Amino acid sequence: MTIGIPKALLYYKYHILWENFFSYLNINTVTSPSTNKEILDVGIKNSIDEACLSLKIYLGHIKYLCGKCDYVLIPRIVSLNKNEKLCTNFSALYDIVKNTYKVKILNYNIDVDKNYDELYAFVSMARELGISRYKAVKAYIYAKEKEKEDETAKIIKQESLIKTNKLKILIAGHDYNIYDEFVGKPIIDYLKKMDVVPITSNICKKIYTDFDYKMISKDLYWTYNKEILSSINHYLKEVDGIILISTFPCGPDSLSNEIVVRKIKNKPIITIIIDELNNSSGLITRLESFVDILKERKGMNLYE
Amino acid sequence: MNKCYLGIDIGSISTKGVIIDEDNKILASGYIWTKGNPIKAVKDLLKILREQFNDEDYKIVNVGTTGSARKLIGAMLSASTVKNEITAHAIGTISKYPNVKTILEIGGQDSKIIIVEDKIVTDYAMNTLCAAGTGSFLSSQAKRLDVDVEDFGKIALTSKNPTKIAARCTVFAESDLVHKAGSGYKKEDIIAGLCRSIVLNYLNNVGKGKKIKSPIVFQGGVSKNIGVVKAFEDVLNEKIIVDENSHLMGALGVAILSKQEKEEHIFDFNIIDLEFETKAIECQKCPNHCEIITIKKDNKIIDSWGNRCERGTI
Repeated sequence: MTIGIPKALLYYKYHILWENFFSYLNINTVTSPSTNKEILDVGIKNSIDEACLSLKIYLGHIKYLCGKCDYVLIPRIVSLNKNEKLCTNFSALYDIVKNTYKVKILNYNIDVDKNYDELYAFVSMARELGISRYKAVKAYIYAKEKEKEDETAKIIKQESLIKTNKLKILIAGHDYNIYDEFVGKPIIDYLKKMDVVPITSNICKKIYTDFDYKMISKDLYWTYNKEILSSINHYLKEVDGIILISTFPCGPDSLSNEIVVRKIKNKPIITIIIDELNNSSGLITRLESFVDILKERKGMNLYE
Repeated sequence: MNKCYLGIDIGSISTKGVIIDEDNKILASGYIWTKGNPIKAVKDLLKILREQFNDEDYKIVNVGTTGSARKLIGAMLSASTVKNEITAHAIGTISKYPNVKTILEIGGQDSKIIIVEDKIVTDYAMNTLCAAGTGSFLSSQAKRLDVDVEDFGKIALTSKNPTKIAARCTVFAESDLVHKAGSGYKKEDIIAGLCRSIVLNYLNNVGKGKKIKSPIVFQGGVSKNIGVVKAFEDVLNEKIIVDENSHLMGALGVAILSKQEKEEHIFDFNIIDLEFETKAIECQKCPNHCEIITIKKDNKIIDSWGNRCERGTI
């Protein structure tokens, strides 16, 4: 039996957890490759116009997995904390895919607001695959530990990057945008080429992400956007500038990025919205001039 | 023999060029339409510059390019400096107005605002997906009203009662304009209203959340339109400076930047007679199918770009 994992959307947040859970249970997994033009085109063709670019990319990844696995893992996450929500796309993913492709989907439902937590999701997913509750819980605990290890390692690495004297820019956005080959990767690659250290918002200690958002907005209720705001607040003093990455047309980001731009003063911020019309020259113009501004502010010589 | 520097700004609509001496004095300048063919436009521009240029006393030691076709023209002229238009415009303007605090710019396809503090650019914004309220909008509306876009400003100034025109979006503005014309508003009032709507659109989109402090310099092609300048003055209640060479600031800025290069490459006007050709190739080596642009000089490839990875290197 093989489980297909699309390398898009929540993959970037949970892949360590998923992969370790299945490997502990000796279940094969297959992951789609990083987004390429073909995946993007297939995704755009198979989604409605109003969908955000990230969702279109996701649908392209699912198409890639069709026929290559027995089940595709598609999470349906409604809420991760009491009185909080996720973007409706995450609650709709299961149904969107079911209505788009003929593919067997593995159930994975989280709705903490209604007392269905992550452990419940993993146990019921295992039950569908004929695995006992006992084994599933053990695998979940194992995978959770691995996830924690990975997180700690990433945080240590990022903390060491912060200590450098080079120009540092916080890339703030959803994991699935920051790391996607077609969305955030060109930005990160370009910054590295310009000798800038990119700090990413998704790597941040949980004790900060749970509360720090309140310094920017008290009553935002999208969990992932709260985490981004917390991270921005946490890294604010350490970085020279902030790049907000978002895909067109993201609902939650359009509100939370606006809050950030309005509330944070004295720190240069640019918002980069990526759409499917892949125009890299406009992107380069914005990034290059942004880096120029930061260098000038830092008193670095522009002409070297 | 004195050293001098060539700066070229190739925008979507127009191509601008200057030659400056060591003291940033403009020795020669040119301004022509790009007409969708940057290579030909640059050749024509170089012809204009050559006529004004005194090649007995001066030699061009460095070339800089900016604007949307900066990379292509940079490769064509073997420019030592290829810089984005925001930095170039800021450097050009600061060299003439050292006290400037805000630079407003409206060009053919884009509009930007640059905030300067103590000769340092501290913030900027640029229009994103939409070209509403830029030069191309003005010229298409001028055509609709059967007025030369050059006369737009003069006609706007004659209006005593500018009509209110929706400023949010080109499509709304256009249908609003048709409606206003149909309900009997005077042409000059509509034109003045359009100038005002450009200003409001700019301040609501690009200028959103930015503190616009005096001295304010306004540039880009639209700054030549006195109707828009007047509308900016009315709305902001501040004096707006428009330089007589406001269209050349980007070219001037990149020429100044090219002065900082340590190595010198003597520039020869004979480049006008060489054949340049560009070609787009779709790379077939992976599913990304990158479009690779190559530029050929006399049938020899001199540069290429557009590939996402090494496999596409030509």
